Amino acid sequence: MVNAFAYVPAVVLLPFVSFLVALGAGRYLPKGGAFGGIAATAGSFLLSVWVAATVAGGRAYNETVYTWAGGDQFELTFGLLVDPLSALMLVIVTLVALLVHVFSLGYMNDEGETGLPRYYAGLGLFTASMLGFVVADNLLMAFMFFELVGLCSYLLIGFHFREPGPPSAAKKAFLVTRFGDYFFLVGVVAVFATFGTAAFAGDGSFPALAEAALEGSADVWTPGGLELGTWLTVVGLLVLGGVVGKSAQFPLHTWLPDAMEGPTPVSALIHAATMVAAGVYLVARMYGFYALTPTTLGVIAFIGGFTALFAATMGVVKDELKQVLAYSTISQYGYMMLALGAGGYVAAVFHLTTHAFFKALLFLGAGSVIIAMHHNEDMWDMGGLKSKLPVTYYTFLAGSLALAGIFPFAGFWSKDEVLYEALVHGLNDPLLLGGYLMGLLAVPVTAFYTFRMVFLTFHGDPRTETARDPEPVRWNVKGPLMVLGTLAVGTGLINMVPVQKVFGLEGIDYLHRWLDNEWGGIAGLSSHHYADIGPYSSGYLVGGETGTVLVGAAVSLGLALAGLGLAWRFYNVASPTEHTAALGGIKDVLYNNYYLDELQVWIAYRTADIAGGADTFDQGIIDGVVNGISSVSLAGGGRIRRIQTGVVSEYAAMLTLGLIALLVVLGVGGGWFL
Amino acid sequence: MILEALIAFTFLAALVVLLAPDAWAGRLAFALSAVPFAGSLYAWSQFDGAGNALTGGTIAFESQFEWIEVGGRSVSWFVGLDGISLPLVVLTTFLVPLAIVSAWTPIDTRQSQFYGLMLFMEANLLGVFTALDFFLWFVFWEAVLVPMYFLIGVWGGPRRKYAAIKFFVYTNAASLLMFIGFMSLVFALGDSVSSFALPEITAAIANGGLGEWFGIAPGTVALGAFLAMFAGFAVKVPVVPVHTWLPDAHVEAPTPVSVLLAGVLLKMGTYALLRYNFTMLPNQASALAIPIAAIAVISVIYGAMLALAQKDLKRIVAYSSVSSMGYVILGLVVFTEYGVGGATFQMVAHGLISGLMFMAVGVVYNATHTRMVGDMAGMADRMPITVGILVAGAFGYMGLPLMAGFAGEFFIFVGAFGAPSLPYAPAFTALAMFGIVIVAGYLLSAMQKTLFGPFRLETDYEVGRAPVHDVAPLAVLLAAIIVLGVAPDVFFEMIRDAAIPVVEGVSADV
Repeated sequence: MVNAFAYVPAVVLLPFVSFLVALGAGRYLPKGGAFGGIAATAGSFLLSVWVAATVAGGRAYNETVYTWAGGDQFELTFGLLVDPLSALMLVIVTLVALLVHVFSLGYMNDEGETGLPRYYAGLGLFTASMLGFVVADNLLMAFMFFELVGLCSYLLIGFHFREPGPPSAAKKAFLVTRFGDYFFLVGVVAVFATFGTAAFAGDGSFPALAEAALEGSADVWTPGGLELGTWLTVVGLLVLGGVVGKSAQFPLHTWLPDAMEGPTPVSALIHAATMVAAGVYLVARMYGFYALTPTTLGVIAFIGGFTALFAATMGVVKDELKQVLAYSTISQYGYMMLALGAGGYVAAVFHLTTHAFFKALLFLGAGSVIIAMHHNEDMWDMGGLKSKLPVTYYTFLAGSLALAGIFPFAGFWSKDEVLYEALVHGLNDPLLLGGYLMGLLAVPVTAFYTFRMVFLTFHGDPRTETARDPEPVRWNVKGPLMVLGTLAVGTGLINMVPVQKVFGLEGIDYLHRWLDNEWGGIAGLSSHHYADIGPYSSGYLVGGETGTVLVGAAVSLGLALAGLGLAWRFYNVASPTEHTAALGGIKDVLYNNYYLDELQVWIAYRTADIAGGADTFDQGIIDGVVNGISSVSLAGGGRIRRIQTGVVSEYAAMLTLGLIALLVVLGVGGGWFL
Repeated sequence: MILEALIAFTFLAALVVLLAPDAWAGRLAFALSAVPFAGSLYAWSQFDGAGNALTGGTIAFESQFEWIEVGGRSVSWFVGLDGISLPLVVLTTFLVPLAIVSAWTPIDTRQSQFYGLMLFMEANLLGVFTALDFFLWFVFWEAVLVPMYFLIGVWGGPRRKYAAIKFFVYTNAASLLMFIGFMSLVFALGDSVSSFALPEITAAIANGGLGEWFGIAPGTVALGAFLAMFAGFAVKVPVVPVHTWLPDAHVEAPTPVSVLLAGVLLKMGTYALLRYNFTMLPNQASALAIPIAAIAVISVIYGAMLALAQKDLKRIVAYSSVSSMGYVILGLVVFTEYGVGGATFQMVAHGLISGLMFMAVGVVYNATHTRMVGDMAGMADRMPITVGILVAGAFGYMGLPLMAGFAGEFFIFVGAFGAPSLPYAPAFTALAMFGIVIVAGYLLSAMQKTLFGPFRLETDYEVGRAPVHDVAPLAVLLAAIIVLGVAPDVFFEMIRDAAIPVVEGVSADV
């Protein structure tokens, strides 16, 4: 029998080949290499489905395939880890990448963009890097592909390099995430120093060793006699630095809204399936380690809950379609972090999945609107597009309902489970409860900004000429929208936990069973194991488990509907007006993103000042001393001036003579010639 | 005899080129320089060394002839290779032909002398990395300075004389210090050594052969010698605070000379530190681990901050060398397999990457005639391929995975973090690692300002694409950087083999 796992490298390499082809021969190919990219991602997608089916058939794969550098202390290797989590992620990434490639035909080729080979090369490399990250079997390999993902985001965000904005945004994206990656890299190095391995899975993996060490059955290195639990927390927080950067969590979220300078399909890829998803995926991948350190989990949950709320408030006042979506991404990844921190491993992966589909949908929908609006993104110039772009409208609406968490769309189920996990575990843990409350508070805000966006864009009367006569879009735009629209509606079906609990229908929580290795997987990488080693216990409100499920769902749905209703009231009118003036000074604060960008610019300038000071010090003091010594010695020997002929060759002869004289002196002094 | 052939051929080639007409000296030099490269590849394929050449390992291509006798000790022609020196020999012979090609455009006067001196320098560099006798090594070491001095002083920029003299005097004073340091060791060893052969001296020190010297205790002599040699080599590396000759030399030097200066000459310093300070006197190095690690960290961070302040592209790359060499020092001082091995690997990696950066900046300069960040913008519009490679090289400098720089830096970091012999190793390592953020800061902002955005450059001529012979060496270097990044073991395996005895030299006593 042919083994699907033998083709896992091909899943990664196909998009890489499309990168090479587009880079090398893109300009000679039709559509600038687009078809190569489509074929490659389609191939990867089909292989991924096959791999997932093989995992469902009860098999998993964890093998080292390449020794990057050998060593006696430890080997640095590349390997493949295919288990339910990575198989699921492979399918998501390849599907979204495929749809983004198809959509790009409409967004880039049909719009007459130049530099298409570079664009498709970037997409290919981006997809390949992400896939390499997903299947990585150890932390070092994950880091390496994580960084490559960052490179690709730099290249694609800065795609329009002849304009001033995109290069600046690209720089910011790489630099801010690099700052996070610094901590991640220290974490990787610390993991090697502590455990001598960075493998994710197996008996000799670092989560397993950490678990054993905490039980006292294994011995690991800690610096300076630090207590083991404390040190593991430090290591966990260090790796978390990379997650906070890539997944755009507070306070390293600032690069993401700027990254909207990139072409819209790239935004879809970055937000739904690649770069931003990478951070959260990493926490899920090494959840067996995080579950051991309660403090880290608490920090993750709190950052997540805070980011969910914080980013949502900024989305309320934005005028540009993609800006609203950017802040919604930050906020939604906050939910995933909240879930992970709250012990809701499955909930986080569930939300990662549904979000991948509905956020890709929303970005591609926004791209469709942008094509129609001749690249004007200001929502106040839109209005009434509903009748002109029906496919875009209805799919975008499906995505919006999912984002807002309205029953029965996909986002409702996943967000509800995130909040449920935070609630039941938070009832015994006040810090977690704080995270839950922030997440809950973000629900109406999310619904409000989402539908503000929908109403301003599609409802009411057209507010400009362009909106009255928008450019039509073709199949290559509509096709991906319809696929993703279907998924945004139906993905919730993979994990109907509340229905199961309320109606007692056993077995419809497919994702739970999938991630619990019910069909197959690798020991130690299952949701049950994580729950066993995790610190949390569940508490319930009135009515026990069923009651808590119902109350939690009712509250979050009620809040979402309230937010939606408010947006309806304000913006679902023929000629909507800005109501943000009512916010007063708060509006400015929100519009300027709490002045955090200014803070980072300030830090950058102060760093430059310090660098300037160092330079002055270096030129004035250090080099001054050097020059001072030489001029003192020259002035001291006025006669020596006679030999300052300025003829370079005489200097050299002099220096050589000097050296010989020195040797003679030393030789005589040392008694060699005696 | 292959090493003799390699060195002799290169000297001869230098002579031939020196006498050739200017018109085709460049082509001839390139053709001739390909031979040592082929020779070093052949040596690589035949390499049968094991362990470290200084600590009793099997020396590949070993050949030793009695030369003269000085003060009862024999000086011999003694050359050979181990896993540490072979990669540096390959690096040297690989970079020189590329540097020669990169000179075709900018060097337009006295070509035969220029290329002759380049080859003369290569021959001496090969001597430095192969010599295993102190006197032989010292002759090559000093002789490298002479062509370098002329190359900067004759073909350099407006302040070339200042830079050349500063370079010469600075490094020569350092050589004196180092020479005194080493000689004090030899004298203190007294009768326990009969030659200047480095393996013999290393073994004598390890066996406790150091005696009193003019009434100074052996331990003090060793410490003094260590400090004198460290100071001498530190200038060459260079580490803060003896680095100020470097930016001046780089800014004034023509591009191909900068390529060799950053790519190979700086490695003479780290190579000598590794051979003399860390292999011969490991216990002194270990005793001074904290101050040395502090110097390393300061070089990394301070060098990077200085790079951040520069407005001249070449100065930026020059200061970032100070930063990168700091990593090498850190790797050496931790005395672990990955630390010392990574430091050696980083020498090669940095040689390629800084070579690429200087070359790429040079190609841009050929077109713009300015290197100031504020004078140009949007160069990507006019020179897409050059800029593409420059961007790739910059990411290599930032330590992008699967490029050589990441491998070197990661080996050093992972070797340093848990190093048992360096107190506070995790703190030193984490501090030094912050360099990877600053390097991204200055390279990304310099690129954003000069390469991207709307094109702007005030010239009275049309700025077009660079000629193929300018771009080809860049592409070759980039390919080498990626190959070493994807498969570092092509060098790292032999480096490790030679580094482990160095590490064991210290752990035996600690």
